[in-house]
Amino acid sequence: MNLFKNRFLNLLIIGLATLIFTGCVSQQVKTGAATPPVQTTSGASVKNSDPELSLMVSDEAEWRASEAKMMAAEWRFHNIVDTEFVKKYVTIPPAQGVTIIDSRPYLPKFIKGHIPTSINIPETKFNDMAKLIPSDKNRVLIFYCGGFECKLSHKAATIAEGLGYKNVNVFAAGFPGWVRDKNNYPSVSLEYVQQEIDDNKMLLVDSRPKKAKFDKGHIPTAISLPDADFEKLNGKLPKDMDNLLVFYCEGLECKLSHQSAKRAIALGYKNVKVFSDGYPAWKKAFGEKAQELPQAKSSKDEGVLDIEEFKKILAEKPDSIMLIDTRDPDEFKQGHIKSAINMNIDKLEKSVKELPADKMIVLVCSTGARSGEAYYMIQDVRPELKNVWYVDAGIKFNKDGSFTIAKPK
Amino acid sequence: MRKQEIAKKVFISVMAVVLFAVFTAISFAGEPTGNGRKGKYTYRKVYKACMERGEVQSERPIVNPSDKTMEQWKKVFETKDFADFKCSEEWGKLTPEDLEDIYTYLYSGAADSPTPATCK
Repeated sequence: MNLFKNRFLNLLIIGLATLIFTGCVSQQVKTGAATPPVQTTSGASVKNSDPELSLMVSDEAEWRASEAKMMAAEWRFHNIVDTEFVKKYVTIPPAQGVTIIDSRPYLPKFIKGHIPTSINIPETKFNDMAKLIPSDKNRVLIFYCGGFECKLSHKAATIAEGLGYKNVNVFAAGFPGWVRDKNNYPSVSLEYVQQEIDDNKMLLVDSRPKKAKFDKGHIPTAISLPDADFEKLNGKLPKDMDNLLVFYCEGLECKLSHQSAKRAIALGYKNVKVFSDGYPAWKKAFGEKAQELPQAKSSKDEGVLDIEEFKKILAEKPDSIMLIDTRDPDEFKQGHIKSAINMNIDKLEKSVKELPADKMIVLVCSTGARSGEAYYMIQDVRPELKNVWYVDAGIKFNKDGSFTIAKPK
Repeated sequence: MRKQEIAKKVFISVMAVVLFAVFTAISFAGEPTGNGRKGKYTYRKVYKACMERGEVQSERPIVNPSDKTMEQWKKVFETKDFADFKCSEEWGKLTPEDLEDIYTYLYSGAADSPTPATCK
């Protein structure tokens, strides 16, 4: 009987211990929140952007009145030409025997938009920069500036004539007159492209062949839409016809970006520009940071980017990925990784069709919850996007663009 | 002696069954094992569809994870009583996997969880 009692007590103790043990286990919940080893790192640098270029297109009556006033002014140059005259000489590659000269200041006017193939010689610096014009005195020179009321091109033309040039013309309607024709588009400069990349308001389109050129190196954030495949692949362009499109290719002699720009205008896009200096100018300015497409190593969970790899990409090639911070704008303002753009889930859902298919996309937030939600939204709406990842970790974003990242347990 | 041995065997068997039942109940009674990240999106998607149908005014879910405790969420999903959520048409279309994902999301952000969450 005593033996029986002892065994009963032993079993009771084992039973209670089991209950306590399993009870403790059941209280453990998988939350994904963790705060262990914290490491600090920094993001890439970006610059602030100016407001978008305004294209000063006034109504017809006002326009004509302004033209008449200029024609009557005593300061005007004697040889005035119109848009059709200028158009003849705007060719790619640039026409021989012609120089088109923008007399406006380089910053901020010329960089934001100028007549394709034109060079910039600000009127105030004409004497210093006149050497940029070939010495052949029979050369056709066309000066322009900011429209009928702008005197800069008239003054510069007068100086050029004084230097002995015999075929000097002023396109008095100037840059506003050029873009007034809906079939015309402006060229923009390197600084403008850089600013717009930082502002994230532009779709930058590489018109060169994909394998031979784009895949070997391209401007960060650009998508590949080879001019030869434009009709087949123009679905990559945004639906919003007011969206800023900037095309580029292999420099001043390259026609591809100009041809694509004309095709885009024909499709109905209203805000089309060409970065005529193209990839060679970018490479010269920023080095050959080839933007080969990284394919991330995932962790064991679906869509979760390995943290070490994430840090490596940010340290070495931040521009090779589209980094989307899915927090709300007020949180983003408090601090964010410098190369990140801000799109919370609502905004991202509206723009999801515009996400590039040929660029690695990485989603971040402060815990992995919102970026994870965004990941599954993209997978649901754009299942063809295979290079999309999110960082499932606690991230603290600092005001200076640095961040700390805590690995989940 | 024979009676004692029989009583002992019966007692051990009963205890073994009781312990197994208790352990099983505690270990598997509603511990969510789905994908909470995916569940968050699926949960919102339910309300987006529901709003488009006109039953609710906003695509923002009407119940937050932190509106209930873990135990309360467990009960909701054990009994499959989704009346509080409205949008029964959309809830009815969810697969068992979707439900497990949503449960995981809600449970992980419950009021008494380490990381209480709203639907932000």
